[in-house]
Amino acid sequence: MSVQGPPAGSATEAPVLEARAVGKVFETFERAPGMLGVLKNFVARKKVDVTALADIDLSIHRGETVGLIGANGAGKTTLVKILTGIVPASSGEARLLGRDSFNLTNAEKSRLALVMGQKSQLWWDLPPIDSFHLLREIYSIDSGVFESRVQAFTRMLDVEDRLKIQLRQLSLGQRMKMEIIGAFLHDPDVVFLDEPTIGLDLVSRETIRQFLVKLAEERGVTYVLTSHDLEDIEETCRRIIVLDEGRIAFDGDLAGLTNQVAGKRAVEVHVEPGGTKNLGPLEAALAPLGAEITARAADSVTILVDAVRMRDVVPVLFENLAVRDLSIERQPLEHLVREIYSQSGRAGASLARGREGPGAT
Amino acid sequence: MTPFATDVSQATRARDGAGSQASRNLRLLWRSVGYEFRKRIQFRTGFVVREMMNGAVEPIIMLFVYAALYRSAGAEGTGSLRGWSFDEILKYVAGLLVVRKLVFHNRALDVSTEIFEGRITKYLVMPFRFFVLVQGRFIQYTLLQVVLAGLVWGIGYGILGDRWLVPVSAAATVQAMLLVGLGSYCCFLLYFIIHSLAFWLDVVWSLLVMAWFFIAFTGGSSMPVSQMPAGLARVFEYGFPYWTISAPIEVMMGRLGPGDVARGTGILVGWLISLEVLRRFVWRRGLAKYVGAGM
Repeated sequence: MSVQGPPAGSATEAPVLEARAVGKVFETFERAPGMLGVLKNFVARKKVDVTALADIDLSIHRGETVGLIGANGAGKTTLVKILTGIVPASSGEARLLGRDSFNLTNAEKSRLALVMGQKSQLWWDLPPIDSFHLLREIYSIDSGVFESRVQAFTRMLDVEDRLKIQLRQLSLGQRMKMEIIGAFLHDPDVVFLDEPTIGLDLVSRETIRQFLVKLAEERGVTYVLTSHDLEDIEETCRRIIVLDEGRIAFDGDLAGLTNQVAGKRAVEVHVEPGGTKNLGPLEAALAPLGAEITARAADSVTILVDAVRMRDVVPVLFENLAVRDLSIERQPLEHLVREIYSQSGRAGASLARGREGPGAT
Repeated sequence: MTPFATDVSQATRARDGAGSQASRNLRLLWRSVGYEFRKRIQFRTGFVVREMMNGAVEPIIMLFVYAALYRSAGAEGTGSLRGWSFDEILKYVAGLLVVRKLVFHNRALDVSTEIFEGRITKYLVMPFRFFVLVQGRFIQYTLLQVVLAGLVWGIGYGILGDRWLVPVSAAATVQAMLLVGLGSYCCFLLYFIIHSLAFWLDVVWSLLVMAWFFIAFTGGSSMPVSQMPAGLARVFEYGFPYWTISAPIEVMMGRLGPGDVARGTGILVGWLISLEVLRRFVWRRGLAKYVGAGM
């Protein structure tokens, strides 16, 4: 599944989100270790400025679906907080719907929604339907419209029978679906989703992605989605912004990202059983072409190769292996992002783990 | 097809005019009062401990202390200590049991926790004033405590009859309740301000306990302010706690008259305005400092 349909906005329209040289510096205190350190801190604390964001320039138009990617501490959430007006920028200017983000009026706030995967938007002690009624008052939603939206959204996300159960008693997946319904009840134009699928099972993640894609297509809603699950980004966003140490390392679409990192392809070659016992000659033949073997099994081998060298590599494969079948796939997004990070001298480890291991955050 | 169409969309845009804003806040206020009620009564033990026993222990202890004091001074009959007979002290304690229930308690707020844990973040992107929800809690607290205070008064009167505090007149009761209501709102504002210090500090709960002791002592929870040394009593009479706790009881007992009530109302309104200005200032400065932890 991927985002289809015509773009709802265009470059000629005024951007709905804009950042000009936005920077954010947090003031914190350095704590020296040990007893002496504690006493020193008590008398005189050492103030330290931590730069979370520096010189961020971007503009997002109506209907754009933007994935914000970055390792832990890269500045994704800080950027979302600044764009939504939760915290002020230390320097530069952030604008949402044409107004300074930190001084939004209620009219602008009513066109905005925020979903936080790690913080509940709804009231913990109340059943979701009661929280929705509170939101109806907050956003002045017409009661007929409210009823039809609750009905439609709960059906789309398959939580119709969970509306009257206290939020704290719902499963994580059901709770997150309710959070997303709550965020969309007032028909927002701009939606920020911060890790909306964190901790969810595959089915719930897929349901949520489908919901987001459907609303993007039908309503032209502008999304800014941050996630460590790059599959979320791939399937719901057309534009990708990679943040690295508070700066934009890449801003463009998936194809652009592929081009920027030389466009690797993963070639999976299926051979006769036992045909991968001696891969020495193949490795030697691939090395001058910049290709490498990344995985091997008794009857298959996977090779990572620059897209531009593909035409040279394929004959080498047939010369050195008893090929039964062969498939070529685009490099997974996390590999692309890891390349971006390695280009800027960082491992991007937490990001690259997104789909690979239990250490994913 | 999702239920979004242009006409529908237009209908749901929050109106930003002053009138609609005010009526929306009012609707929201009443809805939040209802939800707060449900939250308070959903756990029976919590309800009994927090709502019913609230403000009951201290006056009862005070009664035993006063009984010992008057007995040791040989004044338990018709004698008096600093203008208060033991019978009057009994009525004062009865008044405390009722009035203390009505005065807003910091336990009813959890704003500092919401700030610490970053739970206010969600409200910052919504088109309404967060304070409206907090006011809902004040109204819920007051309405519930009025019922409970009425019950306490009725039970006390049923058991002790005229030895219990019986207001000298209906007018005195109304005047006393006006003072308690204004004073309780001052307490609410003060607690909200201290909770808001969570934007900067992590010792908010200590400050709240200190504030409660200050309010209780200067308000006359331990002894009637007019029984305290004259210099101290004169100073305390400029504070809102005195007009919230001690003075209303004395109004119901007939020891203070309408002139005192007028003066007290003026002092309370002055405090109320000052605290409201301070609340807005602290909240605004706090938001500029907020980092939205835990998001």
